[in-house]
Amino acid sequence: MSASSAWPPPPDPAAPAAGDGGAPVRRRGRRTAVVVLSVLLVAALGIGAYLWLTTTRWQEHSAAWEDEAREYAARVAALDAELAATDAELVAAREQLATATARITDLANEKAQLGDENVASQQYLDYQRRVSEAAGVVTTALGDCVDAQSQLITYLEDRGSYDEKDLDRFASDVEKLCRQASKASDQLQQELEQ
Amino acid sequence: MSRPAGAPGAPAAAARAGGRAGAVLLAAALAGCGVLPALPPSVPDDVVPTAVAPTGPAGSLDGAEALSPDGFDAVQRMAVRIRNVGCSGLSTGSGFAVDEHTLITNRHVVADSETLEVSTYDGRDLEVSAAGSASLADLALVRTTDPLPSYPTLADEDPRPGDAVTVVGYPQGGKLTVTAGEVIGPTTDPLHENLGEVLLTDAPVEPGSSGSAALDEQGRVIGVVYAKTSDDRSLLVPRSTLEQLLEDTGEFRALPPCEPAADGSQEPGSPSDAPSVPPAG
Repeated sequence: MSASSAWPPPPDPAAPAAGDGGAPVRRRGRRTAVVVLSVLLVAALGIGAYLWLTTTRWQEHSAAWEDEAREYAARVAALDAELAATDAELVAAREQLATATARITDLANEKAQLGDENVASQQYLDYQRRVSEAAGVVTTALGDCVDAQSQLITYLEDRGSYDEKDLDRFASDVEKLCRQASKASDQLQQELEQ
Repeated sequence: MSRPAGAPGAPAAAARAGGRAGAVLLAAALAGCGVLPALPPSVPDDVVPTAVAPTGPAGSLDGAEALSPDGFDAVQRMAVRIRNVGCSGLSTGSGFAVDEHTLITNRHVVADSETLEVSTYDGRDLEVSAAGSASLADLALVRTTDPLPSYPTLADEDPRPGDAVTVVGYPQGGKLTVTAGEVIGPTTDPLHENLGEVLLTDAPVEPGSSGSAALDEQGRVIGVVYAKTSDDRSLLVPRSTLEQLLEDTGEFRALPPCEPAADGSQEPGSPSDAPSVPPAG
């Protein structure tokens, strides 16, 4: 610190005395207080206005959100109702689908059973046809046997008119024919007994 | 260092005090601005997200896994009913598709056939183009001209005792039926129809179930039903045997035509030609 600042400055003859200078200082202090208070008042008014504006805006904001929330709540309620109706339709559709698939399975089974019966009937008809044809063949063979034996008897009654060897061959053929006819008849009988 | 009031430095001090007060006020104002509430943002027109996230785990829709083009699940769609029209009778069995035109059944289901008729779960008839049977296992392969509705995949390995098994087929030639049980374990083939071990399960089967697919819990083939035991258990040709045969379809030989019954197909009573009449002497 310098020596000049260590001592108070010499009194200024132009400066007012201490007892005279109190009023301006007070006025200045009062002026300062007025200014400060004015500033504070302005600031308070500004803050109040801002708070009023903020409050108003937030109220509007809250109201807008509430409106939006109510709108969405209404949509949710409508969607809930639609969902419930759709769920009910889905349940009904699933029941119908289950019924339809069960019916399809039943119909497929019925068709298969009818197909089996048709094939079995066809096989039985084929068998009957073969048996009938066989019966006809056996009948014809037995008839041929009878006819051949009758013919043989006729030949034998007039042996002189025929060659002996031919008669023997014919008799052998007749015997063979009748044996085959008899065997076929036996087979047919066995088949019919099954 | 203090300075007495009314000293010549008082106005400067007052000015400084005023400035200090102003600074304090300014600071208070700034601090006050910091604690004052901000103005609200504008309310958005739409708050609904563009992509709605699913509310539950994937596939949680009841029955979604069972959805199919017509309401039947894959287990039912792959099963076929086989009608064996033989020379001496009629029999039925089951089978299942392994690809779009190939199905698997048992050798004894298609043996001695004059014609084979295949129908699906919904009653459609499929035309058969070829059929062959394996010699080392009771398995047969049938090719169809028409496409099969659905076919499963083979499991990665043979099942272990205790594994769940589902059998889908046409027991007694009747309705398409799904039965369930558990794998009991491997055993030797009591019928000596298969080379190697077969599988024993407690899934109920009936005559007509032969050729049914045995499936695991994922719907994959673990075996082919070929017989039932006297204590109502079922025997399966294991997946491994089926896989071996499918890898070499040359193992499947074309089915021989059915032999007519010895006395049934030959017309009963067909004697040789009638004897000729001897020439007149």
